[in-house]
Amino acid sequence: MPDNVLEAVGLHRAYGSVRAVDDVSFTLPEGGSLGIVGESGSGKTTTARIIVGLEQADAGDVLVRGQARGARRRGRAARLARAREVQMVFQDPLLSLDPRASVEQVLRETLSLHFPDADHDRRVRELLDQVGLGTRAADARPRQLSGGQRQRVAIARALAVEPAVLVLDEAVAALDVSVQAQILNLLADIREETRIGYLFITHDLGVVRCVTDDVIVMRRGRVVEAGPTAEVLAAPRHPYTRLLLESVPRPGWDPEAIAAARRAL
Amino acid sequence: MTAVLTRRPGLSKLRTGRSPLHLICLGLVALVTAAALLAPWLVPYDPNAVDLANALAAPSPEHLLGVDAAGRDTFSRLLLGARTSLLGPLGVVVFSTVAGVAVGMAAGWRGGWLDSVLSRSTELVFAFPGMLLAILIISIHGEGLLAPVVALSIAYLPYVSRLTRSLVLAERERPYVSAYQVQGHSALQICLRHVLPNIAPVVLAQSTINFGYALMDLAGLSFLGLGVPALTPDWGRMVFDGQAAIQHGYPLSAILPCVFIVLTVVAFNVVGERWADRVARRTP
Amino acid sequence: MTPTHHLHTLDVQGLRISLPGTARPVLDGVDLHVGAGETVALVGESGSGKTLTSRSALNLLPPGAVVEGAVRVRGEDVLTMNADQLRALSTGTVSMIFQDPRAALNPLRRIGDFLVESVTLTGSMSRADATARAVELLRAVGLDESALRKYPGQVSGGMLQRVMIAAALMGDPALVLADEPTTALDVTTQAEVIALLAELRARFGTGLLFVTHDLDLAAAISDRVYVMYAGRIAESGPAEALFARPRHPYTAALLASTPRLEAPQGRLAAIDGQPPDLRQELVGCPFAARCHLATEICGRQAPEPRPAPGSPHHQAACHHSDRLEGSPVDAR
Repeated sequence: MPDNVLEAVGLHRAYGSVRAVDDVSFTLPEGGSLGIVGESGSGKTTTARIIVGLEQADAGDVLVRGQARGARRRGRAARLARAREVQMVFQDPLLSLDPRASVEQVLRETLSLHFPDADHDRRVRELLDQVGLGTRAADARPRQLSGGQRQRVAIARALAVEPAVLVLDEAVAALDVSVQAQILNLLADIREETRIGYLFITHDLGVVRCVTDDVIVMRRGRVVEAGPTAEVLAAPRHPYTRLLLESVPRPGWDPEAIAAARRAL
Repeated sequence: MTAVLTRRPGLSKLRTGRSPLHLICLGLVALVTAAALLAPWLVPYDPNAVDLANALAAPSPEHLLGVDAAGRDTFSRLLLGARTSLLGPLGVVVFSTVAGVAVGMAAGWRGGWLDSVLSRSTELVFAFPGMLLAILIISIHGEGLLAPVVALSIAYLPYVSRLTRSLVLAERERPYVSAYQVQGHSALQICLRHVLPNIAPVVLAQSTINFGYALMDLAGLSFLGLGVPALTPDWGRMVFDGQAAIQHGYPLSAILPCVFIVLTVVAFNVVGERWADRVARRTP
Repeated sequence: MTPTHHLHTLDVQGLRISLPGTARPVLDGVDLHVGAGETVALVGESGSGKTLTSRSALNLLPPGAVVEGAVRVRGEDVLTMNADQLRALSTGTVSMIFQDPRAALNPLRRIGDFLVESVTLTGSMSRADATARAVELLRAVGLDESALRKYPGQVSGGMLQRVMIAAALMGDPALVLADEPTTALDVTTQAEVIALLAELRARFGTGLLFVTHDLDLAAAISDRVYVMYAGRIAESGPAEALFARPRHPYTAALLASTPRLEAPQGRLAAIDGQPPDLRQELVGCPFAARCHLATEICGRQAPEPRPAPGSPHHQAACHHSDRLEGSPVDAR
């Protein structure tokens, strides 16, 4: 199926007797955005790490544009090709950047690894512009930037590789609300411009509604519900999805009913 | 920061936040280093020139710090002795740091069987007293500065490799390392370009502390007459040569090198400890 | 001792805190009160000063802080207390629940020891009484006494936060300061902890100052809400009024920029720019640079809190409150 940019088929991963990821399958269409929602321990982060290659699946395949992601191929060319398939933005931008490297160094290092012959000055300016950072930020170190700016740098670094899919692992969870909205809008703009595919790992249903077309809901390593985001959020079929939706604070919210529903589940 | 620098308990009492002591020690380190570097141009006499008529002479305008039992100028020997006394520990520190970082990094990064093999073998070295190892190697290899330096380097390697290993273990868990892996950088690139510079200050602080200990150990060896050839001016050797003179009431030629050994060791320790404290405070 | 019934449990007046190395005060004239048995939410983004404000109730201030104003707990000024009085305050009258329960607990001590020690170390309760109280409170938070013998590593984050809540209630406090107590928890666990806090408040009559960055959560659980921005109270008032008819553009913008389940899909109304830096001096309204209503006066003169027409308890520090109409959530 060439129109799916990313496909996971029957992923399994166990740590001892704990099945962290248990038969997880999904597809991400070209230029699409898929949310993986779940609470801690649901296996959503392990799934993401398998997709990017930081963990190995015990069983199952990850296909990018119909080609299996050769996890075990060695050598520089295979490594770089793998990096151009999937890139990742991490939760904590401060920790995911080398504290010693300036913004420009971060981008240049990536560019010289993947595109040694390109015009790096121009590309660095383009990337900074694309993520809404001025050239003034180019010399700053991560510590001198605000949380939102740091996450912009992390996004720019991922985009520098020109990947087919961007995995965003709780990429806005650590940001303040007003900054989070800026980054979500930025991500929407980037997807419109570049037709890059997003795999959005999050616990926040509001964020899912805002940036994804499709969603899968994970619980204890398994997919309990999957479908178009609007449908799943409007008419959840699985009781766990319903519980998640009801748990989101809002006026007239009844935490006791939720607590009771949680115990019942 | 989970990694803990190895400090010998006695000397770590000298750790202090007071900055005058730190400044004095920093000055002392600079002074001793400068003396060692400039010694050949500063010495008034050939350190091995024997002037028996003047043996055991007290300090005088010609011989600033007196003359030893063999009639050699103490000031000249102290100055030139600084060279050997600092060069040896420098070799120990450089070799043990480079090799220790390589071993520790390989063990910490790769983990698994390589970690087991490397950690067990460095522990084996740990279990074996450094001085004993040095005496063993010297007795096989014979006289010369190289043998004790190599022996002590091996003895000091576990201090550095253990520290490096624990630092690398902590560092590789940090998301930025994952980020570089996802970006397609090779393990070696990540280690050398990112992990190493981030752990370097802590490792170098440990090495500075090691410098003082190596100096003391080497001085001890040459006091025992091991390692440094008989005529080479060296502080440990000078203490040995001067001990007979103490009994005759001329302590200067033995006491002075003692004082210099102690001061230099203390100075390097204070500077290293202070550096380690500052590094520890900076890293969250 | 003055009678306490007409006094606020916590009363912060004109609190101004300056730290060394900053160009403007971290807190600049904060007025806030928590009545007996009342739940008050303090909402703000990181760096707004909300945590510092809540900690001032126990005089837990960073070293070198220069403090003006008054912080009274049941009428007694906390800022002038000596170490003994403060210790008595923190073991009896005021207790704290932290964001990350795992970080606040010694992993090598049993939960039971942790609960009991908090009151026996000061001699205010015997060990047997304290153990009985701990069991009672563990039951109240939905755990049983087997938790007493467990280590923090053996229970989940949600359970641990319930232990923290039990610990906070050990000394029978008049006021609980909860600093983002549910931020580290999953949403379903959050609901459970909130339900528990509400129930306990009703049962023990404890005042609750709930510090959070989540405006929706604040509105859902509290009687009154204070919204902080750059060390000042931007808006305060009853939760529903503030949520439905915000009178400060910052509150309105926060509400509009929250990704919400009900709102239509599409771009969020993000607030441009960033909160003002502590290294820069502030003249006028701190939000002016990011505000779409800002005029010349906003850059010149700091707005004083003014009540909404017909609603004296709903106050906003904005020159242009009257130009904000309706809820931004409806407007979108």
